[in-house]
Amino acid sequence: MRRQIGRGGRPPPLLLPVFACAVAAAALVPALAGGERIQRGNLIVALGGEISPLQLPRRQPDPVHLRLDGGLISADGSLLPRVERVEIGFPTQGVVSTYGLPSCTVQQLRNTTSARATSVCRPALIGDGKIVADVVLPDQGPFQVHAHLLVFNGPLKDGHRLLLLHGYARRPPTTVVLPFKLERRNGRFGITIGANLPAALGPWPHLARFEMNLGRSYLFRGRRRSFLSATCPIPPRFTAGFFSLAKVTYTLAGGRRVSTAITRGCRAQ
Amino acid sequence: MKTTLLMATIAVGLICAATAAAEAPTRGEYVDQLETLCKPDALATQRAMKGARSDVQAERLRAAAPKFAKAAAIFGSTVKEISTVPRPPADGERLKKWFGYLGQQEGYLVKITAKLRADEAIQAQRLTARFIHNGNLANNVVLAFGFEYCSFKFSRYG
Repeated sequence: MRRQIGRGGRPPPLLLPVFACAVAAAALVPALAGGERIQRGNLIVALGGEISPLQLPRRQPDPVHLRLDGGLISADGSLLPRVERVEIGFPTQGVVSTYGLPSCTVQQLRNTTSARATSVCRPALIGDGKIVADVVLPDQGPFQVHAHLLVFNGPLKDGHRLLLLHGYARRPPTTVVLPFKLERRNGRFGITIGANLPAALGPWPHLARFEMNLGRSYLFRGRRRSFLSATCPIPPRFTAGFFSLAKVTYTLAGGRRVSTAITRGCRAQ
Repeated sequence: MKTTLLMATIAVGLICAATAAAEAPTRGEYVDQLETLCKPDALATQRAMKGARSDVQAERLRAAAPKFAKAAAIFGSTVKEISTVPRPPADGERLKKWFGYLGQQEGYLVKITAKLRADEAIQAQRLTARFIHNGNLANNVVLAFGFEYCSFKFSRYG
């Protein structure tokens, strides 16, 4: 690994924050992390994040780590709507590669703690993070669930790579494994990962906020490779550029969709 | 006589105040009105800026300049238009701050245009960074308004 994932220090990679959201499947959180915010009706959507290093080659992609954080909050403190789907888009100037990276299966991760999941699927680990969800059970007061997230390279399904988001909470002991489908599309955000929050999670959890660090450097056939790479494709006379780093779209119960995107800069080497 | 005059003055004052209050829009009405004005201009900005990113990428700064100039003109006229719309009294201070940011945004667009015309890449780059930062600050001020077309979106600028 190019750098140990998570555990404070500087932020790592990109994609998984989305997963976390999905996993938590629903929650209400008091404070949202920094970043850009939009408000639609009573709902505030926040998204922040960055890549590291900021200084990148203009042409040949270099390994990067991505940190994303964000979530939902209601302006008046009322219960958040349930999130049914989370999708995160990334610009095509980034490169996502799982070539030669070991993969893990949902079955291997099911009903495991974070420690167990790591020991079983460590070679496939590509990110980590955390998620907070508010849980409202019938005839009980709402409570928050704080889950530790791990992201693993998953198997191929219908020609698309799956990224497996593993969420584990100690209190109450809960494990969720969500498969996020990695897809390539046209448009500004040509790389997307998305997952439906399974009905099996029940109607109680309400996603509140997440933090996700993604990135993994590994050796394959004697060559160093990276799960995430990026360039800073700016003309020679410029020293810095600006790009849309990520866009998150939540599909809420009832079909309403809310999304927000963030712009960040890079520096050319 | 004096008492009658005083009473009449108070009555007229009360009527005027009531009329003004009745004319002041709610936040929802204000947002609807501004969005109606901002939408065509936001779409026009997107059209005007089409290809600007490619121009800058190919270092055709002078070709990109007219596109920024058009965007600046559209932005300026939008701000002028929406600044005349009566504001909800409770949001007066907040909107004053927002319009301050919008004025700066227009200024940045004008300056970026000038730097592109002068083929000064680094200066244009620095101003663009400020333009983006300032736009995000503007958005934060009116977050609760839930603007779509009246909010700053970098993606509209190429």
